[in-house]
Amino acid sequence: MEVIKTVDLTKKFGSFTANKNINISVLEGEIKAIVGENGAGKSTLMNMLYGLLKPTSGEIYLRGRLIHFNSPDDAILNGIGMVHQHFKLVPSLTVYENVLLGVEINKEVSIGNKKFKTFKVDQKQELKLVNDLIEKYKFNINANAYVKDLSIGAKQKVEILKMLYRNVNILIFDEPTAVLTPQEIEMFYETLRELKACGTSIIFITHKLGEVMDIADSVTVIKSGEVIDNLLVKDTNNKHLAQLMVGRDVLMHVEKKYKDYSNASVIYEVNNIKTKNKWGLNCVDDVSFNIRQGEIVGIAGVEGNGQSELVDIISGILKVTDGCIKFNGNDITNFWPDKLRKNKIAFIPEDRYEQGLCKEMTISENMIAGYHDSPDISKYGFISMKKRLQKSIDLINKYDVRVSKIEGLISSLSGGNAQKVIIAREFSSDPDLIIASQPTRGVDIGAIEFIHKSILDLQEKGKSVLLISSELSEIMSLSDRILVMYKGKIIGEVMGKNATREEVGYLMMGITHSEENTNG
Amino acid sequence: MDRKEKLNSLKYSIINSIIPILIAFGIGAIAIILAKENPLSAYGTLFYRSLFNIKGIFNTLHFAGPLILTGLAIAISFKAGLFNMGIEGQLLSAGFVVAVMGNVWGELPKTVLVPLLLVVGVLVGVIVAIIPTMLKAFYNVNEMVVTLLLNYAIIHILQYLTENTFRDPSSGYVSTPRISSNAIPSRIFEDYRLTTFFIVAIVVYVIFYFIMKRSKLGFEITALGQNRNFAEATGMRIQKKIIIIMLASGALAGLAGAGWMMSEKYAYTLSFSGIPGLGWDGMLIALLGSHSPIGILIAAVFYAVVKTGSSNIAIFTSVPYEIVILLQALIVLFLSLKVFVKPKELKLGEPSVPKKRFKNLFKGGKE
Ligand SMILES: Nc1ncnc2c1ncn2[C@@H]1O[C@H](COP(=O)(O)OP(=O)(O)OP(=O)(O)O)[C@@H](O)[C@H]1O
Ligand SMILES: [Mg+2]
Repeated sequence: MEVIKTVDLTKKFGSFTANKNINISVLEGEIKAIVGENGAGKSTLMNMLYGLLKPTSGEIYLRGRLIHFNSPDDAILNGIGMVHQHFKLVPSLTVYENVLLGVEINKEVSIGNKKFKTFKVDQKQELKLVNDLIEKYKFNINANAYVKDLSIGAKQKVEILKMLYRNVNILIFDEPTAVLTPQEIEMFYETLRELKACGTSIIFITHKLGEVMDIADSVTVIKSGEVIDNLLVKDTNNKHLAQLMVGRDVLMHVEKKYKDYSNASVIYEVNNIKTKNKWGLNCVDDVSFNIRQGEIVGIAGVEGNGQSELVDIISGILKVTDGCIKFNGNDITNFWPDKLRKNKIAFIPEDRYEQGLCKEMTISENMIAGYHDSPDISKYGFISMKKRLQKSIDLINKYDVRVSKIEGLISSLSGGNAQKVIIAREFSSDPDLIIASQPTRGVDIGAIEFIHKSILDLQEKGKSVLLISSELSEIMSLSDRILVMYKGKIIGEVMGKNATREEVGYLMMGITHSEENTNG
Repeated sequence: MDRKEKLNSLKYSIINSIIPILIAFGIGAIAIILAKENPLSAYGTLFYRSLFNIKGIFNTLHFAGPLILTGLAIAISFKAGLFNMGIEGQLLSAGFVVAVMGNVWGELPKTVLVPLLLVVGVLVGVIVAIIPTMLKAFYNVNEMVVTLLLNYAIIHILQYLTENTFRDPSSGYVSTPRISSNAIPSRIFEDYRLTTFFIVAIVVYVIFYFIMKRSKLGFEITALGQNRNFAEATGMRIQKKIIIIMLASGALAGLAGAGWMMSEKYAYTLSFSGIPGLGWDGMLIALLGSHSPIGILIAAVFYAVVKTGSSNIAIFTSVPYEIVILLQALIVLFLSLKVFVKPKELKLGEPSVPKKRFKNLFKGGKE
């Protein structure tokens, strides 16, 4: 039975059409994947189903009934829930408190045979209800834990619980796996299977076509706001989907030439650096490595093992408590970010809306940020509006950023296109060294191909790259040398050319060669 | 933003400013009726005398001068996500020092003394702003609290100095000696009160406008106000920017104080800046003008109309001058409601983040 059906659903932003005559249907208990390029209109479509955006025209039917949602609350009341990519949880509350946020159960007192609600929250009852849910869906998390102590995968489960508690039977996920580690993705699949077994229909957006193959029943391909095809997963494959999405064949793996860099000059040197996190623990603990000219060094590791802090140090945001960093022989320890940029080091930060972009500013303003005093756009401390816009337009074209209006705000861009703005800005600055942290998070396969090629092109020109990624395949296919971080330390180094997934995988779990041998 | 959208958001900010004003005037009308006057004729007097004849217009502009500056002083600090609530104290200090020096240096020729005193005013404003600025920039002490409290300390210090050390013995009330006539900027037209100080205010306003809109500094300040982490990560030295903005804000307040002293008050009395003070007025103006440069200009003039108009009400009707305080309070009250905001289209995936200020409160959790 069709639980959701859309008829000619259309959404316009001003004169720009983000969704055009979309007709899709979702069956009871199926897992539907939505794929498409950045800016194709996937999130827009989901936002309409969830009541966050109002359709310009067209209809949505829920189990055959025409519906109009004014807000997500309406959607939830009608059984449609959504889990955002950026979670909306309160870190200082426990799991069950988060689940019941806004729908708390108050203790009742009975006087005679009448019951009265008190102001006190009935925590016991709440805890029990949440535990029941956790058990029903085999979620394996502790309802009493504080959200701030949870891993990203567990936080996602809390978001799902929030929806399940509100009795939704259709769940929408917008790029649920973008921030998950490979292990967490496995667990997420488990969760989806459980949900499906309980009769929940699932729609999820993804850029990873492998996931579609792994878990979905059907898939809808969207391109430039229109449905290109609705397929059953068993009738298609990765290559075919990629072809439909992009309209041409996509290289799933870039060709990389491996060279021996052991004689190249060292341009970047990190010596025994340490720093503490806010709890006073050494989150980067005696880390040393170097990067040679023309080399791509990858840092792999399960998220949360000090990579983010290491990147913060390297980008001049966090100070080291010990150790030093040298670039081309000069000491650059604890340099400010602007000075690092002047030294021709470019940065692609991990969190695009936190450090990389300012959502409330325009595309062109973001395109020059960090390089706004370069002489080609500013003179005597004043920025030329014309040159700024021109530069922005050039980069938008060169890096194929899909924008609905040239002078729009960053917040009007789709997630992947926002990421491309950072890529464009940093790559175009002609750096000698680029620090790229999760550079392809949330971007489509065509863009991944492009970004990977750009990284290799830089290398061709003799520039160096430090690549930090939780995407193991990305690290493996680009790096000349792979360092693995575990608990704040670099516990192993593997040459990229003959690295195996197993070898790196073991290191990521903290198992070094010697231990492996003694154990085995 | 394209044209249409700009117009649209302009429309909303205008509606957002006008509706509270209308409600405030509506409630004000009740107060006027209670004072046994006809509200229409009272408001008629207010607007007619300050807006619809040449003398009134120049009078209004004369009052608008310092208001433009204090409004700007608040707005630029808001723009950077800072809250300089110390405009009033900075303005009073500048006014006081200018009053004293305008008397001491009375022999200097006008062409030297007037610019000199304006510079002195600016410096005093900056000096007073230094304490909260340094506390904020180096120790991250909340600037709002420090600037706010400092006002009260300053008011009392100046009161002491005026009543004792610098009191003019020949004056019948508590006041410093009058500034020399060489310290008074010349009138633009012989018959109207508008002085060259207004031109100074406008020039400063235009300079700031360009700096904020077009310069590297303005760009960085905007970025800082919107997203501190972003500003820091893209290499904008935020500590430096905090210092520059807070001191610039103090400088504007100081200039306003100097100008008010030299073009209107001529001596420091305990009611130098009026009730409510010009610094507080600036806050209302920045709010009314929704912190946009043009908005501030319009709001300052509007507010000057109300201020001059209400003295006219007091003269020509039996409604007391304090009606202006009532109106101001009501406008602030209804402005803060902001009921009439444009319904924003939300995007999922990237949900509407809580405004940065609050986010910082919860620092520690990224989600
Ligand atoms: N509020 C808005 N104002 C103007 N244009 C918008 C707005 N929201 C989205 N758009 C535009 O609509 C198009 C579709 O955006 P959407 O977020 O749906 O893309 P998406 O398919 O989710 O992409 P991604 O994979 O990058 O997340 C984009 O070109 C975007 O610029
Ligand atoms: Mg999206």
